[in-house]
Amino acid sequence: METVAPFKEAIDAIKEAGGEAYKLCYQCGLCDTVCPWNRVRNFSMRNIVRQAAFGLPEIEGEDIWRCTTCGSCPQRCPRGVGTIDVSLSFRRIASEAGISPASIHSVSASLAAEGNPLREERAKRADWAEGLSVKPFTEGMEILYFPGCYLCYDSRLKKVAAATASILNRAGVDFGILGAKENCCGESIRKAGDEELFKRLARENIKTFIDNGVKKILVSSPHCYHTFKNEYTEFRANFEVVHISQYLFELINEGRLKLTEEYGKKVTYHDPCYLGRHNGIYDQPREVLKKVPGLELVEMADSRQDSLCCGGGGGRIWMDTPKGERFSDIRLGQAMDVGAEVLVTSCPYCITNFEDSRVTLEDSEAIEIKDITEIVQEAIGEEKKPDKDGQ
Amino acid sequence: MAKELVEGQPLNSPEENNIGDIMVVGGGISGIQASLDLATAGFKVYLVEKSPTIGGHMAQLDKTFPTNDCSMCIESPKFVECSRHPNIEILTYTEVDKVEGEAGDFRVTLTRKPRYIDEDKCTGCTTCVEYCPVKYPDKFNQDISNNKATHIYFAQAIPLVTYIDPETCLYLQDEKCQICVGVCKNKAIDLHQKPEKVEIEVGAIILSPGYEAFDPKLREEYGYGKFENVVTSLDYERLLCATGPYEGEILRASDGKHPHNIAWIQCVGSRQVIPGGNSYCSAVCCTYTQKQVILTKDHDADARCTIFHNDIRSFGKDFERFYQRTENLPGVRFIRSYVSVGKEIPESKNVTIKYSTPDEGVKEEEFDMVVLSVGLNPPAGYEELAKKFGIELEPHGFCQTNETNPMKTSRPGIFISGAFGGPIDIPESVVTASGAGSQCGELLGYRRGKLSRERVYPPERDVSGEEPRVGVFVCHCGANIGRVVDVPSTVEYAMTLPNVVHAQEDLFSCSTDAAQQIVDAINEKGLNRVVVAACTPRTHEPLFRDTLREAGINQYYFDMANIREHDSWVHSKEKEEATQKAKDLIRMSVARASLLEPLQEFDLPVDKRALAVGGGVAGMTAALSIANQGHEVHLVEKDTDLGGTARQLHYTLEGLDVQAYLRDLIRQVYQHPLVHVYTGATITEATGYVGNFTTKVESEGRVREIKHGAAVIAIGADVYQPTEYLYGEDKRVMTHLELEEKITQRDESVTGAQSLVMIQCVGCRNEDRNYCSRICCQESIKNALKLKELNPEMDIYILFRDIRTYGFNEDYYREAANKEVKFIRYTPEDKPQVEAVKEGDKEILRVTVTDPILGKKIALDADALALAAAVVPSAGSQEIARLFKVTLSPDGFLQEAHVKLRPVDFAAEGVYLCGIAHYPKLMSETISQAYGAAGRALTLLANDTVTASGSICVVDEGKCISCGACISACAYGAIEFKETKQGKKASVIPVLCKGDGLCNSKCPTGAISLKHYTDEELLSQIDAAAPAPVEVQKEKAGVAG
Repeated sequence: METVAPFKEAIDAIKEAGGEAYKLCYQCGLCDTVCPWNRVRNFSMRNIVRQAAFGLPEIEGEDIWRCTTCGSCPQRCPRGVGTIDVSLSFRRIASEAGISPASIHSVSASLAAEGNPLREERAKRADWAEGLSVKPFTEGMEILYFPGCYLCYDSRLKKVAAATASILNRAGVDFGILGAKENCCGESIRKAGDEELFKRLARENIKTFIDNGVKKILVSSPHCYHTFKNEYTEFRANFEVVHISQYLFELINEGRLKLTEEYGKKVTYHDPCYLGRHNGIYDQPREVLKKVPGLELVEMADSRQDSLCCGGGGGRIWMDTPKGERFSDIRLGQAMDVGAEVLVTSCPYCITNFEDSRVTLEDSEAIEIKDITEIVQEAIGEEKKPDKDGQ
Repeated sequence: MAKELVEGQPLNSPEENNIGDIMVVGGGISGIQASLDLATAGFKVYLVEKSPTIGGHMAQLDKTFPTNDCSMCIESPKFVECSRHPNIEILTYTEVDKVEGEAGDFRVTLTRKPRYIDEDKCTGCTTCVEYCPVKYPDKFNQDISNNKATHIYFAQAIPLVTYIDPETCLYLQDEKCQICVGVCKNKAIDLHQKPEKVEIEVGAIILSPGYEAFDPKLREEYGYGKFENVVTSLDYERLLCATGPYEGEILRASDGKHPHNIAWIQCVGSRQVIPGGNSYCSAVCCTYTQKQVILTKDHDADARCTIFHNDIRSFGKDFERFYQRTENLPGVRFIRSYVSVGKEIPESKNVTIKYSTPDEGVKEEEFDMVVLSVGLNPPAGYEELAKKFGIELEPHGFCQTNETNPMKTSRPGIFISGAFGGPIDIPESVVTASGAGSQCGELLGYRRGKLSRERVYPPERDVSGEEPRVGVFVCHCGANIGRVVDVPSTVEYAMTLPNVVHAQEDLFSCSTDAAQQIVDAINEKGLNRVVVAACTPRTHEPLFRDTLREAGINQYYFDMANIREHDSWVHSKEKEEATQKAKDLIRMSVARASLLEPLQEFDLPVDKRALAVGGGVAGMTAALSIANQGHEVHLVEKDTDLGGTARQLHYTLEGLDVQAYLRDLIRQVYQHPLVHVYTGATITEATGYVGNFTTKVESEGRVREIKHGAAVIAIGADVYQPTEYLYGEDKRVMTHLELEEKITQRDESVTGAQSLVMIQCVGCRNEDRNYCSRICCQESIKNALKLKELNPEMDIYILFRDIRTYGFNEDYYREAANKEVKFIRYTPEDKPQVEAVKEGDKEILRVTVTDPILGKKIALDADALALAAAVVPSAGSQEIARLFKVTLSPDGFLQEAHVKLRPVDFAAEGVYLCGIAHYPKLMSETISQAYGAAGRALTLLANDTVTASGSICVVDEGKCISCGACISACAYGAIEFKETKQGKKASVIPVLCKGDGLCNSKCPTGAISLKHYTDEELLSQIDAAAPAPVEVQKEKAGVAG
């Protein structure tokens, strides 16, 4: 057996990188039992936290890049250990030493150059909105709509942006977008260890928002929600942030949105980690779905606080996960186990991963993946145009 | 002042006399003990309990650790003692509204909740229960089974009276039914009863409201209430119990089948800072789980039991052996991992559990049943309770007390005892009860005896001229006996025995209605001998003997046949043979009973002085408490200074300045006019018996003869001198106490160290000393925190096997971790290696230990190494045990009379114990136990006489040949030669004789005999055991072949 000595300088570096949380761990192992990785392979968060205690981080290994920051373990840790922060500190140390997965390297480059992780041109950030009656944001508008990088550029998620815009217009919301002026919110690259890049993206966004008189921001991604609400405050920025699932709930309750068309399908809702566990939003999306006429809402296993991560957080949306190790495969199985025809959620990473899992199913039509806005859009139906008599 | 004499049972109604000395609020085991102690010490006690009966949570337990005694069997005699005690008034189904006044003069307003039953008329016959049409979940059985709207809370309830639940009763809800009113023969049901307000004046209050079990519904992930086969440990306790919902069959809620593969999840609600959880350790769960596993294996030898934990906290006396006993049972696994409850398997309703391993990933296993070892919360309504009594709570919701007096609250005159002070087990609850009692005694000494009453029994009938008329009472003991032995047929059989004129069966002979039936049968049928066929005499013999006295018969006309421990419990699978054996045992008892003689007990005078052996914190605290109650105390200390081990302590985890406290305590001792101190003393001789001891003490050249009625042994303990880990060879290696000394002296070699390592469990939890020293985890963490205060940069490593920071000490464990003290676990098979190595010109002390999570050896270079050395019995313990004729435990500590319910008494009457001489403990626990010993001593010293047993030896001088064999055999020095006209003859000193009968077996002529166990009585029993020889007919001989 190998003999090692505690490495004090490394312990200091870990603390400086925000990983001080290792102190409280009493090695009970509960974190490992709730970690989704252990459903597909052996992975020990307990081991990572223990490495921190002795200053022996295995930063050259694969394991420090596995954590999806889903939040299951800190939620249950009896000692209140911020396990995610420990793993994150290792990533920061690794990044600074130039060690990170190749996919993250290229994402960082894209973010730095074009303000989005998908190697798309900044100038095309607002292209999704063409022909959809979406205005540029001006001061005094009710709300800024911040779709996020995936909704702006990804072909599947652009449909969600479109659905969102159409709903907002139908509800008569006075909203605008900032398009190419926006950067990626930076949440995921921060979790992947590139702290400097995150700070740059955040500061630029904050300046843009302030310069344009933004007060209230509507987001589609729980990751944007999380960072605007909880992390941008580190820069003393204090914007009001609302997620689309909450906003839909408000619009329906205020009577600005009427759901009239039937959507007679059996639907199950997946709680995204960053909406549910990290920010406590479980009921509003469900209430919205319950208001859809004809919709039958069923709960699958591992719902609400126990929601099974899709595997996209912590930067892993950009990393390759081999088949057989994908949490989203298991999630689709759970949805089909309760007889759901549609798996609905409200996060671009979840939708991306679920769609990937769906196409690899034996019968790729066995289940549909939808965003909550796509269902609501169907439920509000076509805009009734006034006929020639003005009726 | 003459005591008021009361015939039979004391009056029940408080309206007649609303003045008492002390009110005890909470009728669990702690409240009961406090009441009994104070009542026996001459005070009038009101015992108030909000449930329909006294008993508390202990009444719900099946067995108690570590002896696995039946819980109700050891508790219920105390219920009866309380109800028969003339100085105790029990007010059940009563709550406190308001407390006004001050110490010495409180006015408490109580509300007596309506039972809708007239307590004075109800006989507990349960006819109304049979006829009541409505059922609802039975709280006593954890809502697992149902009971009627009117019922008795449990069979041994005191008072044995029903109560009607207002939420379920059809009349009280809808004005329908009233069947019960019609069937009650005594017209005891009053459905129009209203709550009654009562005001009672007392001088002091003891709060013993107990605890509430943690409700796992607060944390969804445990699956409680969702998955049918997930139960709490208290639910499981009821399942185990023969009086439980399934009569002692452990059955699954989902399908009523026996589970064979059961998991226990530890620390449910404890050691957690997540919402709903408690940060402290609940102290009892590790051991109660081991108990449940042992009992489960008794129920089902093939059961597989798995315990998931993160440290096994077996810190109490005999707990470590109990742990090993559990571990060694086949099919039992202890797995170190907290777990998450997985899912419920739809077909079987089995539940899965996920646990982690250091090197084989996460495993998921299926179990038939999952038991949640729930922790202890403060009692229900604790905030309101605190407001009503005007006392402060500590942050977790338990009562705020003082480290130097754990029974004292923030309001003078109000004391606490039991779990309300923090999660702790039954012995501690009993100790603090006696301790709170002692402090009430100190406060109200001037009132002692003024309100107390003495019991008067009816005159004893002289039956010596009568033929024996035996009554046989066969007990079902719920299902304990009745499930195995065919009780009705034994009753029938008993009636055929010679001299038997009455035989009956009882569900529980120990319940008050059964006791009343014995009295009635004696009076109506003129019985003059009683045989009870039930459990062991060790539990209820005193109760039954008392019952005979109540009926006017000499109590020695009683015999007990043990058809439970000796029959139904050991032959549970052989019902027919067990029934036959029960008949045999009853036949034997009847034979003996017919020959029993009446014997008189006699009263001995009590010397009101006390002796305290040992002048440490324990001895001094006990001495002061006794002296404060007006008794002279002689305090003997072998050292030249008082103080004991506390002289080596400087600070505690809570920040007490120990030396200042000690100085003040010593000053109080020297200044107290009733305390006489002898230092540099040796005890040369100790003779006598309870109430009348004589002890010779040599001190400062003089020999003094001290006469005293009671003795408190508080001789302390020593520290193991390690031989391992380079102790004694390298000056950087020291014990934990030595470390504390160096820290206090600000010794640079320690306070300036860069790196310091502590190794736990040195010299104990091994073959030499198979026990846990209890204090060392606390001591090491205390020193670590102190060092971090002085030198935050120091690296401190604590190498442990289990961290046993029980109770609120868990918070300090967390604090130490937060301050970067590093904890590394080692196993006894892979102990840390310590070597002095030379690297260059540096002398390094290297400690190498395997970290089980990393799977690597960690090399720590230490500037200092502290060994948490075991606490060992005092060097003087053998001698003291010999002198005072008391026993030592297998580990050499003082052995108490009963681990659970008599934790400060010795088996030898009149001698008490306290402090670390009993077992290692924290200073605050020593102080509690010292007050407890004082309280118990006062139950003796406050009275003018003490009663000695009638079953003693007597010499037939005609047969005595003066050989002296009996004198050598007697361990109590109870026999001596006396001069007679026929020369020297052996003679028994009645008050010293313990009645063990050893002398009988040595006497060559049979001159000496033991009353109540004479040869004739015993031989008749043996003769009755073997049936008379049968004549075999000649024709049958051929068949038998």
